[in-house]
Amino acid sequence: MKLFLRDQWAFAAFFLVQLILLLLIFALDGYWNESLMIYAVFLSVFFAGAFMVVRYLTHRSVYQRLSNPVESLEELMQTHGNAALSRALDETFMEHYRLYKEQLHAYENKQRDYTTFIQQWVHQMKTPISVIHLLLQNEDDPTAESVREEVDRIKRGLETVLYIARLDRFEQDFLIEPVTLHSLAQNVLAENKRLFIRNQVYPELKVDGHWRVESDEKWLSFVLTQLLTNAVRYSAGKSNKVTIRAYELGPSVALEVQDYGIGIPPEDTRRVYQPYFTGENGRKYPESTGMGLYLVKEICGRLHHGVELESEVGVGTTVRIIMSAVLPTLQDRKKAES
Amino acid sequence: MSTIMIVEDDPKINQLLQNQLEKYGYHTVNVEHFDRVMDVFTEVRPDLVLLDVNLPKFDGFYWCRQMRQESNCPILFISARDSKMDQVMALENGADDYITKPFDYDVVMAKIRSQLRRAYGLYAPQEGERTVEVAGLKLFLERMELSIHDNKVELSKKEVLLLEALMNQYPRVVSRERLLEKLWDEQFVDENTLNVYITRVRGKLKDMGLEGAVETVRGSGYRLKAVWEDGQ
Repeated sequence: MKLFLRDQWAFAAFFLVQLILLLLIFALDGYWNESLMIYAVFLSVFFAGAFMVVRYLTHRSVYQRLSNPVESLEELMQTHGNAALSRALDETFMEHYRLYKEQLHAYENKQRDYTTFIQQWVHQMKTPISVIHLLLQNEDDPTAESVREEVDRIKRGLETVLYIARLDRFEQDFLIEPVTLHSLAQNVLAENKRLFIRNQVYPELKVDGHWRVESDEKWLSFVLTQLLTNAVRYSAGKSNKVTIRAYELGPSVALEVQDYGIGIPPEDTRRVYQPYFTGENGRKYPESTGMGLYLVKEICGRLHHGVELESEVGVGTTVRIIMSAVLPTLQDRKKAES
Repeated sequence: MSTIMIVEDDPKINQLLQNQLEKYGYHTVNVEHFDRVMDVFTEVRPDLVLLDVNLPKFDGFYWCRQMRQESNCPILFISARDSKMDQVMALENGADDYITKPFDYDVVMAKIRSQLRRAYGLYAPQEGERTVEVAGLKLFLERMELSIHDNKVELSKKEVLLLEALMNQYPRVVSRERLLEKLWDEQFVDENTLNVYITRVRGKLKDMGLEGAVETVRGSGYRLKAVWEDGQ
C-alpha cells in the first residue's frame, strides 16, 4: 500500500495540477459557475479515485511482492495476476530463477564430480598402500618399521580426506542402528594398535559390554579414531595412559576419551572446533591439521550426538560424546528381573 | 590341499597373496583375462575364491552372482571400498565375507581358514598342521605345543604368538614393538605384560632344558638363540 502510494503520488499531483489548470482557464475566460465547477471537480476526482483503486486492486500482489523481502526462491515462482505489468514481472522473475537454477546446477555438478574424483582417487591410492603394507609385513628391520610408520600416517591422512568428502553426502551414507560400544572401541583400538605401541601410550578400556547406543558404526568409529589419535599424540612422552570409558549421563550414554597429556590452553578451548585451527599445541606438533575436532563436532552434529570438552594445561584433556542409549534388550530386561 | 582362486587385477597384490597362500600350503589359481573369470572358475572348481570389487569389464559383484549359480564355495571379497553399502551389496550378491584393503596377512589367513572350516569341516586333514621349526625345535601352531626331541611342553595362545614371531625371524632380532603388535589381539598388551609373557616363555624353555634361548638385545628387542645345537 505504502509503495503504491509512493509510486502513484506523482500521478495524483499531476492530475490535481491539471484539474486546477483547467478550472483556472475556465474562470479566467469569465465562465464562473460555482456549482458546476464543484460538480466537475467531484466527478473528475471520483473517476481518478476509482481508477486508482482498480489499479491498486489489480496490481496489489505486484506491490506486495516488491515491498516484502524474498524469503525463498519459490516465492519468485508465484504468479502476480493478469495485468500486463504483472505478467512482465512474472516473466522476469522466472527468467532470473531459471538462470540462477542453471548456475546452481552447474556448480552442484562440478562439486559432485570433484567429490567423486576425490573418493576414487583415495581408493586408487589404497592399492599401492596395500602393496607396501603387504611387502612390509614380513620385514622386521628398523627401516621397515619406519616405513610402516609413514604408511600408517598416509593411511590416516587418506581416511580423513575420504570422510571429509563423504561429509558432503552424509544423508546418503549413514545408517542409525544399535551400536555396542565395547566392541566398537575394541575394533578401533585394534586398528590403531601401532599408533599406541609406537608412542608407548596404552589404552585403558572401561566400557561395560552392555552399553549400546543409537548411532552409525562407521562414523562413530571415525570419531573415536580422531579422539584417540589426538589423545595419543598429546600424551606421548608425558603420560602412558589413555582412558576410554562409557557411563550413564541422565537419559543418555556418554563415551569419554580421557588423556593425561599436555592439555589445551584455556584461550584455545573455545576455538578447537573451528576448521584448520591448531592453536598453541599445533605449533609444537607439526602433524596437527586442525581438522580432527572440527570433523568430530561436524559428524556428531549430524548424528545428533553432543560433544563436550574439558581440558587443563599439564593435566590432560577429556572429550565426551553424548548419545542416546538403546533401550535395554529383552534379554537384559529378563536378566534384571530374575 | 585346498585350491584358492584369486581374482585381483593388481599384479603385485595378486603375487603377494599367492606367495603367502602357497607358503601356508594352499594351491592358488589366478585370473589373467578378466573376461574369462567364469571359464577359469568352472575349469578349476576352487575351494574358495578371493574376489576384488573393482575389476576391468565387470565388477566383483557381477562375478560373484555368476559363481553363485554354479557353486556354493566360500567367496571372500577384498576391496578398497569400505562403505557399508558395498559390504551389504557383497553379501547380497552371495559373498561370505568382506575384507577391506589395506589388510594384514593374518586377517586374510584367519578368514580363509574359518571359511574353509565352515564349508568343508575340518581343515587339518587337507592342510596338514602348521608348524614352525628351528633346528629341531618344533612349534605346533594349532595344538599349541612346543617340542624338541621327545620333550614336549604346552603353551598358551600368547606364548604361541611370541614363539611364532621369534622362530619365524630366527636368527634375527624381533623388536618389542613388533611383539606387542602380535600379542595385541582383542585385549591390548602393554610393555609390562610383554615382559611377563617373555618371562613365562623363558620359563617353559628352561623346563625343556633350553636356558638362555631367548636373548635380550638391548634397546632393540629379542632374539632366539639355538642354544640346544651346541649342547648336542
